[in-house]
Amino acid sequence: MTELSKIRNFSIIAHIDHGKSTLADRLLEECNAVDNRQGREQILDSMDLEQERGITIKATAVQLNYTALDGKTYHLNLIDTPGHVDFNYEVSRSLAACEGAVLVVDASQGVEAQTLANTYLAIDAGLEVLPVINKIDLPSARPAEVKAEVEDIIGIPAEDSPEISAKNGINIRSVLEMIVRDVPAPEGDREAPLQALIFDSVYDSYRGVIVYTRIKQGTVRPGMEIRMMATGAVYKVVEVGTMNPMGLTPRDALGAGEVGYITASIKNVADTQVGDTITSVEDPAAEPLPGYRAVQPMVYSGVYPADGAKYQDLREALEKLKLNDASFVYELESSIALGFGFRCGFLGLLHMEIIQERLEREYNLDLITTAPNVVYRVTKTSGEVLMVDNPLDYPDPMEIELAEEPFVRISLIAPQEYVGNIMDLAQQRRGEFKDMVYLDANRVELHYEMPLNEIIYDFFDALKSRTRGYGSLDYELIGYRPSKLVKLDILLNGDIVDALSFILFAENAYPRARKICEKLKENIPRAQFEIPVQAAIGGKIIARETIKALRKDVLAKCYGGDITRKKKLLEKQKEGKKRMRTFGTVSVPSEAFMAVLKLDED
Amino acid sequence: MGFLGRKDKKPLGIYIHVPFCRSKCQYCDFYSLATKDDRLMDGFLDAVCAHIKEAGPLAPGYTVDTVYFGGGTPSFFGADGMATILTAVRRSFDVSNNAEITFEANPDSVTPKLLHKLRSEGFNRVSLGIQCDDDGLLEKIGRPHTYAQAVTAVKQIRKAGFRNLSVDLIYGLPGQSLAGWERTLQNVLKLEPEHISCYGLQVEEGTPFYQHRAYLDLPDDDMQADMYLRTVEILRGKGYRQYEISNFCRRSNESKHNMKYWTGGEYLGFGPNASSDFAGKRFRMVRDLHGYIEGILTDGQVVDELQDIPHRERAGEYLMMRLRTSRGVLGQEYEKQYLLPFAPLERVLVKWADRGCAAKLENGCWRLTPEGFLVSNTIITELLLAQDQSAPPEKRR
Repeated sequence: MTELSKIRNFSIIAHIDHGKSTLADRLLEECNAVDNRQGREQILDSMDLEQERGITIKATAVQLNYTALDGKTYHLNLIDTPGHVDFNYEVSRSLAACEGAVLVVDASQGVEAQTLANTYLAIDAGLEVLPVINKIDLPSARPAEVKAEVEDIIGIPAEDSPEISAKNGINIRSVLEMIVRDVPAPEGDREAPLQALIFDSVYDSYRGVIVYTRIKQGTVRPGMEIRMMATGAVYKVVEVGTMNPMGLTPRDALGAGEVGYITASIKNVADTQVGDTITSVEDPAAEPLPGYRAVQPMVYSGVYPADGAKYQDLREALEKLKLNDASFVYELESSIALGFGFRCGFLGLLHMEIIQERLEREYNLDLITTAPNVVYRVTKTSGEVLMVDNPLDYPDPMEIELAEEPFVRISLIAPQEYVGNIMDLAQQRRGEFKDMVYLDANRVELHYEMPLNEIIYDFFDALKSRTRGYGSLDYELIGYRPSKLVKLDILLNGDIVDALSFILFAENAYPRARKICEKLKENIPRAQFEIPVQAAIGGKIIARETIKALRKDVLAKCYGGDITRKKKLLEKQKEGKKRMRTFGTVSVPSEAFMAVLKLDED
Repeated sequence: MGFLGRKDKKPLGIYIHVPFCRSKCQYCDFYSLATKDDRLMDGFLDAVCAHIKEAGPLAPGYTVDTVYFGGGTPSFFGADGMATILTAVRRSFDVSNNAEITFEANPDSVTPKLLHKLRSEGFNRVSLGIQCDDDGLLEKIGRPHTYAQAVTAVKQIRKAGFRNLSVDLIYGLPGQSLAGWERTLQNVLKLEPEHISCYGLQVEEGTPFYQHRAYLDLPDDDMQADMYLRTVEILRGKGYRQYEISNFCRRSNESKHNMKYWTGGEYLGFGPNASSDFAGKRFRMVRDLHGYIEGILTDGQVVDELQDIPHRERAGEYLMMRLRTSRGVLGQEYEKQYLLPFAPLERVLVKWADRGCAAKLENGCWRLTPEGFLVSNTIITELLLAQDQSAPPEKRR
């Protein structure tokens, strides 16, 4: 076990694109932890998706051995945090494993909404926050101003912050020295009852679940019987060790203050919830570490295979994904329109997109996804309270005493010239203005309270387009409020397509219904007969379009020279048809489902 | 002639692509050059004749029963050149005495002299591009002739002794009305052709029409559909039988050559961009006259695309091509030829027959009705899908 005084546990926090992962890579290189030539870019973001999107989806940790200017060798544990508001809870647990946080701020862009959000999380967790000004090599860099901004807006000293370029490897050592000097060494009693914080876990097909943990009190050793205090699961430790850039290194024991991993032949990642406390069965801690929260999906949607025959493949893929992602939940669902599929719960829209993309890419599946749905709270006249995450479960309006929807407090930061645009957008989305703060001469932070439902569709995209990409967003759930809700049904050729139903705010129903009918008309191919497309609330039709009957789909000429080309054309048409679902007599391509989800504000 | 008697030999069609025109029509995407350059024409002639001579020995077991000169505008290329090519064909292939020998012609490039020459060389069928009866519209679509010229050309063709005349017409032209199209049909019927092809205008990529499609005032799909159904009705009333989606004839004057394309017959094509389907392979010559000439004269590469078509794929082609014709598809024949079940396909056809009368079964033969022809891509696509599902091309892993 490493002496407490030689350990530093820290994480790096930043707004997307401010260079967090690049800095992490440079730190690794500087400690000779990685061979520069073989090390692929951004080691910590190991999923393709993470590298493509430039964001960290899962937390990971790595130990660096750094010999400082004082001649001593320190163990620096870098705990990487996910970089998106969807994963706020996971971020807070990773931060709880550290004593310090390196705050990376882009020297030209300055402080952004997520910088603030993550910094507050770090400060709340009692961490020492150490700003670093990155990208000083850019011509537009203005380090002095950005430092002043950090001091003004966040209120932490930044005068002596290192000015670095992670990309070009400038001043990386000064960051390491700062960590050794300013991050407090961990504290803890290695003889006390075990309290180990789970900040992440991954599934390995040979060892079972590998739990990433920070030992707060006591010591854990192989052979010890452990209990997860929230889930109650009991296991016998097989191995403990530390995470090195090139793999796991077994150790005899992990003691208070250390960061490492535990394996215990754990089959189910659900037993090792992020934020839970591991203790010893023989000598248990009196109470768990604070801050644990059960996973709470915010957004639900139906996920179906585009080709109904692939249901089994989808199930297997979900099972595998779930092994590594305890925050995502699913259960069997069946739709009259789409057959068998799954109702999936996600932490947020990004999380939903990531899961979908992984299913499509890593498991080669074509999916149909139904409109995302938040969890509504409905009190029936009978007094029964329902949490409705699926439009199909929405009660008859006659039975509803009170309908409530979840609200969030959102924080928007943008240059002041876009304030008008942002206010328009927020108003359209039923935002209730709270306050507006000038962060500096140029930038403004606005606070609104609005229904979660209004931001899950395309709010972030709309914000980006109205602020030319400069706007940033953060939100937190603040509870339920009464609302006027209705369930909108879509009928094709007179039959309700259950998979297209959704719940929305009553006053939005008419414009939305019209738009959906138009979109469906554009996306559903003409058939032999005329197809009415209707939107209805409780049996009353509120919008209608008609898809005219198909009259002509023919190749006028097909002689010797045309055959190959025309064959390809029919082949393409056939493939398109494969991706269609038939509802009664109407074939709907999966694109139509997507089109209904993306109703732009044009 | 070898051991095989003519009776045992397999039939073969020969197609000659003549890539020369007076001018390019606005809608045309066939390969042709608007030139009368003597050197190019001579080069083409030499290359095609050399190509034919080279290919002849590769088809010993075949009798040529159709020869088709298409284009381009063969009549613009001239009678002497065509006669030379036909002679080359006769020298290198076994051409049957009653072979159908067709050439395509435009009204502005037929003369009594040309017609007499070709008739005496053995040509017995003319396919004349008339397109429509409205001179203003003809000009608009880039045709280099008037309707009066077309009428004169027909008289000359008859006078030269051709008893098998086909005319090409196009409906769905810019600004064309249903009434305008009906008038074209009535006028053309007075010329009493044995065979009429009526094509719905298709705006193909790469043509001037494609570029200007937004401004063309083209009749919409519904209008084209009405024009089509009216065509079938009018021609039927005058004794023309619809034997393919766009083709009509009196008595038994189907184009024997074109039927090969729709019924899986074999054919060899010569000239740039000419296609062949021969001995299980489908291939196409380069779409470039210079490249073609050079390739032939230097023993270089003239084949641009060559595909071995597996038997399984032929089963799809059978559906795609045969359903274009009034012969339709025969369940028994299909099952025997491709060893695939017909029942799943029949279910699709029954559905289309029940709803909207798009298909019908007669004497064990399924064929599409005119309404079915209009949406034949949709029907064929469904059949191909049913075919895939009944016999998956590859095993599930």
